[in-house]
Amino acid sequence: MTDKMIKKQSFTGKKVEILGETYEPGMPAEKGQWRKKLRNRKAMLKYLQSGERYWYLDADQWCGSERRKSKA
Amino acid sequence: MSEIGDKTVDAATRTMLEKAAGEGIETVFDRAEKMKPCPIGSEGSCCRNCAMGPCRIPAPKKKPKDPEKAKKRMGLCGATAETIAARNFARMIASGCAAHSDHGRGVAEVFVAAAKGEIPGYSIQDEQKLYQVAMDFGVEIGERDIKDIAIDVGEKALAEFGRQEGELAFIKRAPLKRQEIWRKLNIVPRGIDREVVEIMHRTHMGVDQDYRNLMLQGSRAALADGWGGSMVATELQDILFGTPVPLVSKINLGVLKEEDVNLIVHGHEPLLSEMIAAVSQDPEMIQMAQSVGAKGITVAGMCCTANEILMRHGFPIAGNFLQQELAITTGAVDAMIVDVQCIMENLVNVAKCYHTKLITTSPKAKIDGATHVEFDEHDAINTAKRIVRTAIENFPNRTSKVLIPDERTDIVAGFSHETINYLLGGIFRASYRPLNDNIINGRIRGIGGVVGCNNARTTHDSSHLTVVKELLKNDVIVLTTGCNAMACGKAGLLTPEAASKYCGEGLASVCETVGIPPVLHMGSCVDNSRILMAATAVVKDGGLGDDLSDVPAAGCAPEWMSEKAISIGQYFVASGVFTVFGVTFPIMGSEGMKDLLFNEFEETLGGKWAFEKDPEKMAKLMIEHIDKKRKALGIDKARERVLYDMEMRQKLDAA
Repeated sequence: MTDKMIKKQSFTGKKVEILGETYEPGMPAEKGQWRKKLRNRKAMLKYLQSGERYWYLDADQWCGSERRKSKA
Repeated sequence: MSEIGDKTVDAATRTMLEKAAGEGIETVFDRAEKMKPCPIGSEGSCCRNCAMGPCRIPAPKKKPKDPEKAKKRMGLCGATAETIAARNFARMIASGCAAHSDHGRGVAEVFVAAAKGEIPGYSIQDEQKLYQVAMDFGVEIGERDIKDIAIDVGEKALAEFGRQEGELAFIKRAPLKRQEIWRKLNIVPRGIDREVVEIMHRTHMGVDQDYRNLMLQGSRAALADGWGGSMVATELQDILFGTPVPLVSKINLGVLKEEDVNLIVHGHEPLLSEMIAAVSQDPEMIQMAQSVGAKGITVAGMCCTANEILMRHGFPIAGNFLQQELAITTGAVDAMIVDVQCIMENLVNVAKCYHTKLITTSPKAKIDGATHVEFDEHDAINTAKRIVRTAIENFPNRTSKVLIPDERTDIVAGFSHETINYLLGGIFRASYRPLNDNIINGRIRGIGGVVGCNNARTTHDSSHLTVVKELLKNDVIVLTTGCNAMACGKAGLLTPEAASKYCGEGLASVCETVGIPPVLHMGSCVDNSRILMAATAVVKDGGLGDDLSDVPAAGCAPEWMSEKAISIGQYFVASGVFTVFGVTFPIMGSEGMKDLLFNEFEETLGGKWAFEKDPEKMAKLMIEHIDKKRKALGIDKARERVLYDMEMRQKLDAA
């Protein structure tokens, strides 16, 4: 699929050419089953420690608003 | 008599109201005109908690000049307007919490039985969510068998309802600062059922007579709903039936098909509707439908059952709360299957005018005159088959002229907290960072949670849509559940294309980049717990304060009507969120309660209530609150971006 370029106005008001939509036209026939990418227990637990890190990873291992706070 | 156009803004509903009027069918819209609400009860000034009453102490039409005289408004026992309004309000919270939580308990019971392999038809659909909840409950994962983990998770979840002391497990999901606020106020729920029971005790004649103290317990019970019963329901349902992912579907009465056997599943719990949805696709059932002259089988949802089977399977939605009688009026519904909550008793009368079989399924919710087919989770598939067969056998009995409005709209749903997190960051670094960054840079002004019911005392769907459109225009992204989500769906707001049509330039650009609708459908009313999780993720990701009350966000229920809505509103307020309700508000007879809920709560809980009937003013209140929070965070003004060179960085490090 070739990239489609579209013209838009930037935040400074300047006309710029940017990459347009990259999705396929029409309606998807199936739902976006992204969770099936996590195929086994190891991958699932690893995802919890990355994607849901604020709940399932030790507080000193991530950045966020509560990093320096004591554990609840 | 008001015009049909004044009753609803939805074209399909208008068409059906005309048909109903022509055929002499009375609906909730007609009854709302005939019977006006009790002015004393609606302001919370009626106490019927003992047999010396009911005591009615309506607020004076004019503010009394003598404050001492005002204090003399009291019931026989001396209960003031404040005590009476607080008792009534707390009991509404207890009822709402009980409804959501009993739903959660039912799911937990099925979950345990399914994990033990005692009931066919149910199995673990989302293994990862099981591990997530196992970690919340402190259940060991290791190399253990998935079945053993599931049994432990189910039993721990079930124990949350009868817990007597300590703290509910999901409380630890909230931002740390929020947990500290709750502990300081002593409103951390100890157990789900305990908090409901304690409200019923405290509001009994002659017990708690301090409205502030009553509302602290009200907050504790509400938190037991949002961070307890509702969250248990959402999480266990996700494990059993799958965590929602983006999907497309359709909404409105036009999803019914004249040539098909039409079943409507209505109510709130997905336990049976999941089975009916599955059984309806069974070739044996389709063949049976064809044998009676139908082309196939259509299963459509109504109210929150609809949201459940939409979010996970893409089954279409026939309509929201005020459309339930009208769906039968099409003459095309062969069976309406109901479970619990928001089911109008008049359905049985409307069904009698057509061929529709009204089937109750819960031992907790029977209707005199309806057919009862008790749902037995141990034999769920056969119960579902029996119901689908009943609908098929009823197809040839259609008598009246069928009229299905030609109204159906495309929708995109399935935005669980997990899916939003994934969409914004991908599998390797799922994150709310892009959302936070765009709130900080001002492209998104803030977050609006718009939820709640329909109410026949106001124009159907009108306030929902006015508030949402006003928020979108002002670059506020909307998270929605329940009947508001359906109103938005019918109006075309749940598609990515809505961004360019309805949003301010900043919000539109973000939605276009990510490819999401500006209104994100997050599920049913128990799924308001997903909104709590999304808001918490925003806090934890950083840059927008360290508590839910710091985030530029506000919530509203423009057309609320049920006690569940009051419980939801109170748990959002107690979680630090500014929450506005429309239509009516049940404490307006008490000056003290008004001051507590509309002002004092902001000092103690961080969130507060507001009441505003006008949807445009409601949106304005929310935007003003969002702007206030932006100012407090120092992100209310555009700042010049400075790119630091090495020399500047070194100076910064030295400082």
